[in-house]
Amino acid sequence: MLNYILRKLGYSILVLFGVITVTFFINFVLPGDPARLMLGQRADQASIKALQQQLGLDKPKIVQFGSFLVNLSKGDFGRSFSTNRDVFGTIIERFPATALLATTAMIFSTILGMVLGIFAAMRPNSWLDSSLMGFALFGISLPSFVLGLLLMLVFGVYLDWLPISGYIDRGFEYLLLPMFTLALRPLSIIARVTRSSMLDVLGQDYVRTAKAKGLTSSRVIMKHALRNALNPVITTISAWFAGLLAGTFFVEYIFNWPGIGTVAIDAILKLDYPMIQGTVLFTSLVFVIVNAVVDIMYVFLDPKVKLS
Amino acid sequence: MKSKNKQLNRSESLGQLAWRKLRRHPAGLIGMILIGILVFVSVFAPFLAPFDPKLQILEYSVKASMFQGNVLYTKNPANLSQPSVLAIESYKLVGDSVQYKDLSGRKVTISKSKLWGKNPSDWHDTPIYYLGTDNFGRDVLSRLIYGARISLMVGVVSQIIALIIGIFLGALAGYFRGWVDNVVLWFINVVWSFPTILLAILFSSVLKSTHDVLGFELNAFWQTFIAIGISSWVDIARIVRGQFFSLREMEYVEATRALGFGSFRTIFRHILPNAFGPIIVLATAGIATSIIAEAGLSFLGLGIQKPDPSWGILIFDGYGYIAAGTNWGLTLYPSIAIAAAVYGFNLLGDGLRDALDPKSISR
Repeated sequence: MLNYILRKLGYSILVLFGVITVTFFINFVLPGDPARLMLGQRADQASIKALQQQLGLDKPKIVQFGSFLVNLSKGDFGRSFSTNRDVFGTIIERFPATALLATTAMIFSTILGMVLGIFAAMRPNSWLDSSLMGFALFGISLPSFVLGLLLMLVFGVYLDWLPISGYIDRGFEYLLLPMFTLALRPLSIIARVTRSSMLDVLGQDYVRTAKAKGLTSSRVIMKHALRNALNPVITTISAWFAGLLAGTFFVEYIFNWPGIGTVAIDAILKLDYPMIQGTVLFTSLVFVIVNAVVDIMYVFLDPKVKLS
Repeated sequence: MKSKNKQLNRSESLGQLAWRKLRRHPAGLIGMILIGILVFVSVFAPFLAPFDPKLQILEYSVKASMFQGNVLYTKNPANLSQPSVLAIESYKLVGDSVQYKDLSGRKVTISKSKLWGKNPSDWHDTPIYYLGTDNFGRDVLSRLIYGARISLMVGVVSQIIALIIGIFLGALAGYFRGWVDNVVLWFINVVWSFPTILLAILFSSVLKSTHDVLGFELNAFWQTFIAIGISSWVDIARIVRGQFFSLREMEYVEATRALGFGSFRTIFRHILPNAFGPIIVLATAGIATSIIAEAGLSFLGLGIQKPDPSWGILIFDGYGYIAAGTNWGLTLYPSIAIAAAVYGFNLLGDGLRDALDPKSISR
């Protein structure tokens, strides 16, 4: 068991190393010279040279990569070109907003998605099942920014029930529209996965045995079927949670939610290299770490996971 | 003997069987209809669109749907094949010239020789803007119709790029296994760790400055197609790898080895065709994802560039009016278009998955 966990961790570190390497090269492939971008278009050659030297941009790439790694280990992601603020500090400051949005959206979509999925599986191919699954596929088909804007139009403008822009520090109602916008896709996917997994399980012999014993259908579903159908559902939930924690770009951007996604999009629009590197690296780190934790949790949760 | 012949005639290929099942699949059918509409609109855009999608009549900025214009077409000295358009209040014929009142109430006289064509029906028109106009006085319906072309192109071209990369890497990993698989799988996991949309945004920024490397500049269309394509091959590579893992153990693959075929021939001629089902299902859903990605990139101003009528740009143009609570159609119509196109491909993907699933073969 310990062996398995160590191997998983080791692999995650290998993947992280790849992520860091790719992030390092972002600086070289993006258009423009960082020193020139920092100083502005009118800067003279001498100051650009001086700044390049100060940033170490004149050194060989391998040396630069070394100092990049050393700085990373100290939590130093550099300073933003546009605000001159510490990149790592900004990201840590903004992360709770993203985490809050991602967590509430995942709780909402998990509960509702599983309930809808179970309902659909109880009467397969009924009109309820078909319409629920039709809606679920539609939910997957709506891009988040399109859904967000439509919800803004209906609930924010036409009905005037909810605010369309701002952070939760101004009131709980500010959370609702972005949270629901973010939740619809995972909700739809969780409902679909729950349904198909439940249908697989409901066809099994032990479910028939449970029914033959005379158990009520709700007891069969909750006690016998659901527990065994849960595995693919948990995989879906954790993958989505990792994905949402790593970035809720469009939803944050259109609702003006001050999380990592807004920072990342602003940085890209302004060609703010250190901030782009910082947000890309941070979101990927979160993704890898959450996935590693989930993989390891499986060992404890599911006896069927093979340790080989 | 006769009955045996009949049986032979009735046997179907897997493709025919899938097609027969797909036609009876309600979701797949609706999907095909939606995609059919998308393809039809894209192909016949010049005939369907009442206006040039880039034609600006600033006097007609943000008009409501069913607005009726009143315009004169005049000869354009800069471009003889296309007339200029003048928005007017009214006009009357005065001898050899035409006197019209423009929208500010000014009376202007213009010689007939400067007008487009010969008859009043050539140079005067009262066109209807069925879905209204945007902030530059462009026809929203025409922009939506031409936008269908962009979405369809993005979906297909970037999926082809994703398929090429995904199939190549997946086949390599699944066929050779061992250290090749380890390296490819590591690479897949690294790329998978980056949020797809962030990757697409980064690639599209990188591709903006291809001049130094390629010697020519890619236009915004190709930038977007390639950026999305090279960001979305990971799922395909995973599926292909999995398929190859099991297919390479099949007896017919053993036979190709016994016959001395090279790996290349075995992979592409013998294993790949048998892995096609899951790949097609994934690619169909992938087109949907690519359409979403393009709309998102263009919405941020990082994809297709104005004034080209990408649906994402249309939504961005309408976005500014949401807070004011006016002109909601500018946001709503392109939203419906995107949702319908993406829904179509997702429905077809579901239909194909059921149709190609060997477990559900029923005759």
